[in-house]
Amino acid sequence: MTIDPIDPRRVPRFDHGSRVPGWDEAVDLTKDPAEVPDPATTPVPDDLRAAIEAHIAKYPERRSATVPALREVQERYGWCTPEGIEQAACVLRLTPAYLISVATFYDMLETRPVGRNTIYVCTNISCSLCGADELYTTVRDEVGDDPEFNVRSFECLGACDIAPMASVNGTYVGPISLDEVPTLVQQVRDGAEPLPDKQLARRRSVDPNAASRS
Amino acid sequence: MTQLILFKDIDEPGLATLEVYQRRGGYEGMRKALGMSRDQLIAELEASGLRGRGGAGFSMGKKASFIPKGTMDKYLVCNADESEPGTFKDRELMQKCPHMLIEGMIIAAYAVGANRAFIYIRGEYELQAQILERALEEARGQGYIGEDILGSGHSMTLWLHRGAGAYICGEETALLDSLEGKRGNPRLKPPFPANQGLFQGPTLINNVETLATVPHIIRMGGEEYAKLGTPGSTGTKLVSVSGNVRNPGNFEIELGTPAREIIYGLAGGPHEGREVKFWFPGGSSSPVLLPKDLDLPYDFDSMAKAGSMLGSGAIIVIDDANSVVDVALKTAKFYRHESCGKCTPCREGTNWTVRMLERIDSGEATPMDLDIMASVQEQIIGNCLCVLGDAMAMPVGSMIAKFREEFEAHIEAARERNDALTTAVAPPEALIQGAVA
Amino acid sequence: MPRPETRMVTLSIDGREVTAPENVMLVDGAKYGDVEIPVFCYEPKLGAPVGACRMCLVEIEGIPKLQTACSTPVKDGMVVHTQTARVHAAQEAIVEFLLINHPLDCPVCDKGGECPLQDISFGWGGGRSRFIEPKRHFQKPLALSPLIAIDRERCILCYRCVRFSQEIAEDYQLVLQERAAHTFVATFDGHPYVAPFSGNIIELCPVGALTSQPYRFRARPWDIEGSGSVCTLCPAQCNVNFTVRDERVLRVLARDHAEVDDGWLCDKGRFAYQAVHVDERITRPMIRDGGELRPVSWERALEHAASALGRAQARVGAIAGGETTNEEGFLLQRLVREVLLSNDVDSRAGGSLSLDLHRALGAPAAQATVSDLEFADAVLVLDCEPVDDAPILDLRIRKGVRRRRVELAVATSRPSSLDPNARLRVRFAPGCAEAFLLALEAAIGTAAGEPRREEVARLAQAAGADAGAVHALADLLTTSGDDVVVLWGERVTGGERGEYAGRALLNVAGRLGLRDRDGAGLLCVPAGTNGRGLAEAGVLPNAGPGLSEVEEAGRDAAGIAAAVAAGDLVALYLLHTDPLRDLPNRGAWEAALDRASLVVAHAAFLTEGIRAHADVVFPAESYAEKEGTVTHPDGRLQRLRPAIGHQGETRAEWQVLAELARRLGRDLGVHTGPMATDQLVAAVPFYAGITLDELGGKGLRWPAREAASAFPAPATAGPFELEPPAPAPAPNGRLRLGTFRSIWAAPEVEVSPALKFLHPRQRAELSPADAQRLKLFPGDRVTVGSDGHSVSAIVALRDGAPEGTVFLETAIPEDSASLLEGPLVEVRKA
Ligand SMILES: Cc1cc2nc3c(=O)[nH]c(=O)nc-3n(C[C@H](O)[C@H](O)[C@H](O)COP(=O)(O)O)c2cc1C
Ligand code: SF4
Ligand code: FES
Repeated sequence: MTIDPIDPRRVPRFDHGSRVPGWDEAVDLTKDPAEVPDPATTPVPDDLRAAIEAHIAKYPERRSATVPALREVQERYGWCTPEGIEQAACVLRLTPAYLISVATFYDMLETRPVGRNTIYVCTNISCSLCGADELYTTVRDEVGDDPEFNVRSFECLGACDIAPMASVNGTYVGPISLDEVPTLVQQVRDGAEPLPDKQLARRRSVDPNAASRS
Repeated sequence: MTQLILFKDIDEPGLATLEVYQRRGGYEGMRKALGMSRDQLIAELEASGLRGRGGAGFSMGKKASFIPKGTMDKYLVCNADESEPGTFKDRELMQKCPHMLIEGMIIAAYAVGANRAFIYIRGEYELQAQILERALEEARGQGYIGEDILGSGHSMTLWLHRGAGAYICGEETALLDSLEGKRGNPRLKPPFPANQGLFQGPTLINNVETLATVPHIIRMGGEEYAKLGTPGSTGTKLVSVSGNVRNPGNFEIELGTPAREIIYGLAGGPHEGREVKFWFPGGSSSPVLLPKDLDLPYDFDSMAKAGSMLGSGAIIVIDDANSVVDVALKTAKFYRHESCGKCTPCREGTNWTVRMLERIDSGEATPMDLDIMASVQEQIIGNCLCVLGDAMAMPVGSMIAKFREEFEAHIEAARERNDALTTAVAPPEALIQGAVA
Repeated sequence: MPRPETRMVTLSIDGREVTAPENVMLVDGAKYGDVEIPVFCYEPKLGAPVGACRMCLVEIEGIPKLQTACSTPVKDGMVVHTQTARVHAAQEAIVEFLLINHPLDCPVCDKGGECPLQDISFGWGGGRSRFIEPKRHFQKPLALSPLIAIDRERCILCYRCVRFSQEIAEDYQLVLQERAAHTFVATFDGHPYVAPFSGNIIELCPVGALTSQPYRFRARPWDIEGSGSVCTLCPAQCNVNFTVRDERVLRVLARDHAEVDDGWLCDKGRFAYQAVHVDERITRPMIRDGGELRPVSWERALEHAASALGRAQARVGAIAGGETTNEEGFLLQRLVREVLLSNDVDSRAGGSLSLDLHRALGAPAAQATVSDLEFADAVLVLDCEPVDDAPILDLRIRKGVRRRRVELAVATSRPSSLDPNARLRVRFAPGCAEAFLLALEAAIGTAAGEPRREEVARLAQAAGADAGAVHALADLLTTSGDDVVVLWGERVTGGERGEYAGRALLNVAGRLGLRDRDGAGLLCVPAGTNGRGLAEAGVLPNAGPGLSEVEEAGRDAAGIAAAVAAGDLVALYLLHTDPLRDLPNRGAWEAALDRASLVVAHAAFLTEGIRAHADVVFPAESYAEKEGTVTHPDGRLQRLRPAIGHQGETRAEWQVLAELARRLGRDLGVHTGPMATDQLVAAVPFYAGITLDELGGKGLRWPAREAASAFPAPATAGPFELEPPAPAPAPNGRLRLGTFRSIWAAPEVEVSPALKFLHPRQRAELSPADAQRLKLFPGDRVTVGSDGHSVSAIVALRDGAPEGTVFLETAIPEDSASLLEGPLVEVRKA
């Protein structure tokens, strides 16, 4: 009798995340080791270099500018591309491995290609008490497989007062009702302001005592 | 009615600008402070009884007094990471009155002799970061930040540092690592930041609200401030109320105000026809309380006495339409996602808890699993490197303890549902596949 | 920086009174009372504890929460409990958590049987798991590098490997990715973890997550024996433990010696043991017959060599390679001097120095030790690249900078891997160490108030260095503190003006007051493993054993080559060396080898010179088979012990040398290995009384023994009046030639299957400015040439490379830079 070995690739990825891309990846033995990129062989766009240097200047140690530098890379390339990371590593004088280690730690830094429009739907406790899970699936469905979008369910975004809410390309909007989702998605596609009336920026304090003063 | 301090002019148009802020008396606290000695300032802060508003509730004045004297590089860090679920008070302060925070930081930096200061703001707060950057520019333009501030001899830099999405970076030592450009892993304590913090230098770390209160304390005097609130919990506090209430938002209350007044009076109570089932008094890390606890005064000591904590002052109200299993699962998933992964009990314990809760939810558990789950929570509490693990174990443990029957009923109901399903349709083949999948 | 003093404190652990050094961590303190506290993440070699695994939780009276014993220093009067119900519960909890996702595939795991996770689960775990969810499964094992396999299922995220990469080797290639339960150990974008010290993570891993590719599935812990010895692949002489199964070396582990290696090994030392058992190894004597080397019996080989040497008599030159032991070197010079009556014996590659200079540079009073590098106030790395020349010292220097804030200065021609750690970097032109040292001496004088600025400027220019940087260096060395260690490469004293450069070095040492100071001094990185020992054993043309005077000085290596080529000498005796590979000026050696009528070689591999020119080849012992002693650059005599029997027909070298002498009519009186040691000790006054037993497992520094007073004092140790050297010639469009020898340039690396991929190919290292001028791009093939010789190389750009210089490797089989004569070369696109 022969027993088929378990092929781990057949174990699908649990939604609850016991498999992460990367776990099953071996290295490519034909590559050179990734040391601190040598400026002589790593071209860095001038404006990117200048932006990173400006961050570095704020801190007593260069390394502090790691996250700001990665944000610059993401802004420029849409995500933290290997080349972008090498460029930042070259300016910061760190290894690209160090940068990827930091980048993968933080939720907002993308280390795989993603759509340009980011929608974080908060699905934490307060928002989900107000229907965030439905909101999230609705947004996903509405977006479909449009590659221009990066829709993610996110942990508490610090705006439970406008639950259920989402951060749309950095702009907080809420409460979002399910029937507003098509409009919202269309606005993003059109490059228009997302749900202007629902933006947090316009919200007044709800404290009755505070409100009575102005 | 509560005497408003932080929210007094909060909706005044243009308050975020230097001009309006100064028209409302802004930066007077700073001027006064720069005329006082460092010891005097720290004495005022201690007299005010101000306890940290970020979660741990440690005396602000005492913490400042721990910063060693001397000429070494010292740092002030404002913790604006505000990621505790249910908390959004710092956001409103920074967005509407950024100068209040800046003024507080200048005073605090002067008091402890710190020459470099940073605001660590969570990466998601785009708008607030922009507003703060603008306000910082204005303050630099006025010479409030820079060399020899208003001729006081005190110099400082103050930069905004934006995070990139990690709850753990709110933990003060993880925040320091993150600010140093590393993964946001908490550090072993001791050494405490006051001795060895950012870049190894003595560092004072405070929450936004704590620091924003400082100018007011200096203006009104520590003793005067201490008259507000209760003896153990002086002053006013911003409370974020969310969840199943009609009027969610931030409210400034005097500490000691009964919780019922906040939830029902200010936040409007649960929706039509609903009842409060349970509530988190201080963010999702706090053990849950029941309706019977609603009449407790909302302050540090009373919440602790009730077996919970005031935390960041974030009340989440859950009404009777919701299942405790769902809330427990959401809570546990949050902490599993946010665990930094450095220490064993937190990394593995949160993961295990989620997976057990998922089985409970899907009906593949027995009541014995509840015992195991409760015991796993106990195995986490007190054994972790920082308190993130405890922050899951305490509320989840409290939910199991307080709602055990509901968990059991849920298991039973889900099991019956599964039985009906499997005997009716699923062929064994699919079941085996399902076990792998 | 003085070493911290230790005070003892008394505390109570589980009711026992325990006395332990103050401020050690509780885990270590407990050992003084025979109490074991289990740990996973704690490893003091990795620096400050991280407190991550939580395995070491204990109860301390007066502190409500359990504390991690790995991060709590012991205090006087502390009362600790490790056996309470609370502690047991916590320990069981941690074990249970750790095993949640661990596959427990111990029966097929290399670590099984020597696995801390097994031991601790057994000793401290609850023996049960309540985790019934499916475990995670991943593909395994995956390659992390050609040397290391990673099995992520087994990883318990103890952080040891990544801490090693980041905080010890500082290569920052191995990191954690993702967060929480998703965290995993990985490199950037699928790049392999290839770095000089990567293998240490295998030994650090407390589970079977990181395994050695060459060792995987070769043995189980109950099949093997450990055998302690010393690695002789470079001058660092790290202490090692050979893992032996059935007379085969299967693995090399570190044998922690705080004064030598600090418990680390480089990958050459860890994996090149494979060379012991490869087919390429010579294990039978050979004689050239009809133009080809053919295996013959020992009898024939010995007879052939003896009679041919007998015919050559005094016209024999002998060279000992760096791996030669003290005893072998000693017997070789006896054979040459007493039996063959020749004076021509040498062990130095770079030309001879006066006996006085040898004595002054080797004097115990001037000597710094390896651990001084860590505790010094300032360290100057002078004309050497530790990571290539003595790799383990690179880690020690990093440690000093990182942990004790040692002020590091690097003064080299080629950019150093220590540059980023250094407070100060000074570049000078290749081969211009003499001018540089004179400039430094003058600058130190200026710092002391002498008006010598102009002199500094002039000399710095002659050295191709920046005068400002030389002044800055002088400032750093004079103001950081009194304990200054100069780690200098033997190439400083190489070449024609080596003698003067050596004197200039002594002048600088004198200016800095390094003589007679504990914790300060000079530490030489010799070109060969046992460079120091061979000099002390008398393998120098102008010195006998114990650096004694010889009646008539002989020729040095370069002189021997010239004399053979000219026909003045007719035979060459090569003990562990292939001149084409190991010595400079390959052209001269080719001529000599061509002309020699007899070449006798002890060799383990048929490198190009041996293959083409040797007439008799004796199979050389590998270091795993050897018995004897070697001397560490800081004067520590260390003992080699055979881990395995001789492979094939190999015989001990001392035996072969003694046998040859016998056949030539002289009994050297050596019938066992230890007898050779006894003779050596008797012949070197400052080794007097040393026995192999006394050396034991840890060796012994002779300069620290009483007999050191018998060291022959130099006539003068300076200050010397020195003439400035002629300035370097003007380049006229050409480039200066700098050479270096990579850590991987060794025949052992070439033949070890696991390491083959690292064996270097010639690259021409250029500054971006020169490349631009020459219109060259990385990857271009070029020829680098001078005086009719040229080698082929691939262009590599390096930002830090000084303009006007091209760097090439030596000691490689093809296109070695030793073919070229400097100082100027032309670089042309091929
Ligand atoms: C997991 C965790 C998350 C935290 N998040 C925050 C936060 O987002 N904002 C904050 O001010 N404090 C947070 N804290 C508390 C801080 O560690 C620290 O106590 C606080 O910044 C001190 O400031 P305070 O004394 O002014 O409250 C957190 C603590 C933990 C353990
Ligand atoms: S691979 Fe080994 S050493 Fe590295 S974190 Fe995992 S268990 Fe620790
Ligand atoms: S050994 Fe102490 S926490 Fe790991």
